[in-house]
Amino acid sequence: MNPCIYNRIRSFFIAVSVVTSLFFSTTIFAENTASVIESKETQAPTFVLPGIDNTQVNLEDYRGKVVLVDFWASWCTPCIRSFPWMDEMVEKYGEKGFVVIAINMDQESILATKFLQRYPNKLTIAFDPQGVVAEQYEIMGLPNSFILNKKGEIVYKHIGFRLAELDKYEAEILSLLP
Amino acid sequence: MQLKGKTFTNISITLAAASCALAAPVTAQPSELGSWDVDAGLLIYAESDHQVQAYEGALSLTKQIDDERSINLKGIIDVLTGASPNGAVAQNKAQTFTRPSGNGSYITAASDTPLDDTFHDTRVALSTQYQQQLSRLWLYSGGAYLSKEYDYLALSINSALARDFNKRNTTASLGFAYAYDTIDPEGSIPNPGVSVDDPNNRLTDSDTKQTLDLLFGLTQVIDRQTLMQLNYSISDVNGYQTDPFKILSVVDSNGWANNYVYENRPDQRTKQSLFWRTKYNIQPSGQVLDVSYRYFWDDWGIASHTIDSKWRVQLSNQHFIEPHLRYYCQQAANFYRVYLDKGQPIPEYMTADYRLGELQTYTIGLKYGFPIAGNEFSVRLEYYLTQVSGDDGLAKGDGMAGLDIYPDKSAIMIQSFYRF
Amino acid sequence: MRRILLLASVLSLTACSSLGVTPWERDLLAKPEMQLADNPMEIGFDDHTYFSKEGSSGGGNFAGGGCGCN
Repeated sequence: MNPCIYNRIRSFFIAVSVVTSLFFSTTIFAENTASVIESKETQAPTFVLPGIDNTQVNLEDYRGKVVLVDFWASWCTPCIRSFPWMDEMVEKYGEKGFVVIAINMDQESILATKFLQRYPNKLTIAFDPQGVVAEQYEIMGLPNSFILNKKGEIVYKHIGFRLAELDKYEAEILSLLP
Repeated sequence: MQLKGKTFTNISITLAAASCALAAPVTAQPSELGSWDVDAGLLIYAESDHQVQAYEGALSLTKQIDDERSINLKGIIDVLTGASPNGAVAQNKAQTFTRPSGNGSYITAASDTPLDDTFHDTRVALSTQYQQQLSRLWLYSGGAYLSKEYDYLALSINSALARDFNKRNTTASLGFAYAYDTIDPEGSIPNPGVSVDDPNNRLTDSDTKQTLDLLFGLTQVIDRQTLMQLNYSISDVNGYQTDPFKILSVVDSNGWANNYVYENRPDQRTKQSLFWRTKYNIQPSGQVLDVSYRYFWDDWGIASHTIDSKWRVQLSNQHFIEPHLRYYCQQAANFYRVYLDKGQPIPEYMTADYRLGELQTYTIGLKYGFPIAGNEFSVRLEYYLTQVSGDDGLAKGDGMAGLDIYPDKSAIMIQSFYRF
Repeated sequence: MRRILLLASVLSLTACSSLGVTPWERDLLAKPEMQLADNPMEIGFDDHTYFSKEGSSGGGNFAGGGCGCN
C-alpha cells in the first residue's frame, strides 16, 4: 500500500475514533441504567386487575404460593414463545403451589382476545393496558417476569425470555417451592 | 461497464435483520427457531429508446440459529443488455465509433445521442451476513460480499455495532465497510485524455479501487406512532474510478466533433451524507407514512438532495397498496463537461457521463401486496424519469444547431417479491 | 452550512433521553410495516438502481425501532 493512502487511512481512523467516542459518550450520559437480575428481596407491589370473563385477579389471593408475574403482549415474539413453557411449568408444579399470573399489556384489546383464542393456556390472565401495574413493577422491556416467593417478595427478575435459560428459570422456581 | 459497488447496501442489510428478528408479523405464527426464512425477488428495469435493460433475480435465506444469533445468505444474478450513452455529444451528421474491445464499430445517426450497445453482461453476487445479540443491549453484525461480472470483481467486508439506550427508545450504531474492486475492461484501461484513434491509447490491463465506509446512525422512538432516524456517513474511495468506456467529443467552433478522447476522473473521492428518515403510523387507520431526506456531498463538487416517500395502506383480506414518490436533484461534478473545445488544452479530469452532470430524477410507483398460500407476495410498478439539464447555449454552430444535448431518459421498473 | 447541520445533529442527540415510550407502548412500532427494513430486498434493488444511475450513494441504516423485546 503506498504511504499516501496509508496516511489517509490512519487519519481517517483517528478522526473516526474521536467522533465515535464523542457520539457514544453523549448518548451514554443520558442512559438510565437498571440491573437485569436483582437478588435483593423486596415486597412485590400488590394489585387488583381485571381478568378474563369479568373476574378480578388480586395478587394477595396468591400469598402462600410461588407466583410468576409475567408482563407480556400479543405483538411480542419472545412472549409468544414463553407461553408453552409457562404452561408446562404450571402443569408440573401447579399442585405444589405454583401459579403464573400473565399480565397482558396490549393497547388494542382485540389483539389480546384473538391471541388467547389461538393459544389456550392454563395461566391466570390479567389485563393492564394503561400500564399502572407495569409502572409499579418498573418494567424495562417485554417480556418482563418476576418470581415471587410464598411471602410475596420478588426474588428473581428477568427481562426477556431465552430458550437457552429455561433450565435456570425452572431451577429458580424449584428453589422457592418447598 | 457500470462501475458498481455495494458497500453501503452491505451496511444497510447488515442491520436490517436486527429489526426483522425482533418483530414477527402479528397475524402469522412466530418463525420457528432453526428454520430458514426465504425471500425471493425479481427486478426488471427497462429504459426507453432501446437503452439499458436489466433483469435481476435474488434469493435470500435467513435462519434464526438461537435466541441471540442469526445468519443470512444471499445470491443475486443480474443480466444487463441494451445501449448506454458513451459520452459523445449528438451531431447533425452521422458519427462512427469503435467498440471498446477494438473489434468493429457502430454508427450513430445524425441528431441521435450516441449510444454504445456493447453492454451485455451477466453478474453474479453472493453475500453472507451474521448477526449476534452480544448482550441485552448490544448488537453485532458482520458480513462479506463478492460480486463478479466479465470485467469487474468486487469484494467487501462489513461490520457494525449497535447499542440501545433509554429503555431501548434510542439506538446508536456504528458501521464500517471495506471494499476492494478490480476492473479488467475488454481492450484494457484506456489512456485518459488520449484520442480514441491514437495507437497509444491503452495503458495497463487492469486497475483497482479501494473503498472505506463509515456510518454513524441514531434511531429514536419519538412516540407510540413515530420512529425517526438520523445517519451520517463518510466514505473514502481510492483508485481507478474512471469509466473506461466513456469518451468526450472534441468540438470545433462550428459545433462539429472531429475527435474523441477518453474521460478521466480523479483517483480519490470523499463522499459524505446526512440522512433523516421518519416512519409514522397513522391512527386509527394503521396506514404508515415513510418519508426520508438525504443530503449528499463529495469533493468532486457533486451535491444532491433526495426526498423519498412511501405510504402504505392496508386493505381488507391482508391486501395492501403502497404508493411511492421520489425526487432527486444533483449538481454537476466540477470536472463535468458536455464536450471539450478544440484548441483548448485537454483538462486533467473530465467526464461527459450524464450521471455526474446536473440532473433531476422523479420516480412514481405503486406496490400491491397480497398473501399467496399464507405468505406475502407483492409486486411494484415504477416509472423513473431522469431530466438532464445544462446550458442550452452549448448546442452551438451548425454541428449542434437544434439538438437536445441533454436528453431525458425514462425507465419502467417492475419488482416482485415473495417471502416464505 | 454543512458543519452547522452536522453540529446540530450531534447536539440534538442529548435531547434523546426525554423522548420515547414505555416498553408496553411499542405495539405499533412492533408491526412489520413500521420496521426500518421491512423489505431488505426491495431496499437492495432500489439502492443498486439509484447508485448505478445517479451520482450519490448510501445513507440508510436499519438498527433500532421495533418491539424492543428481550
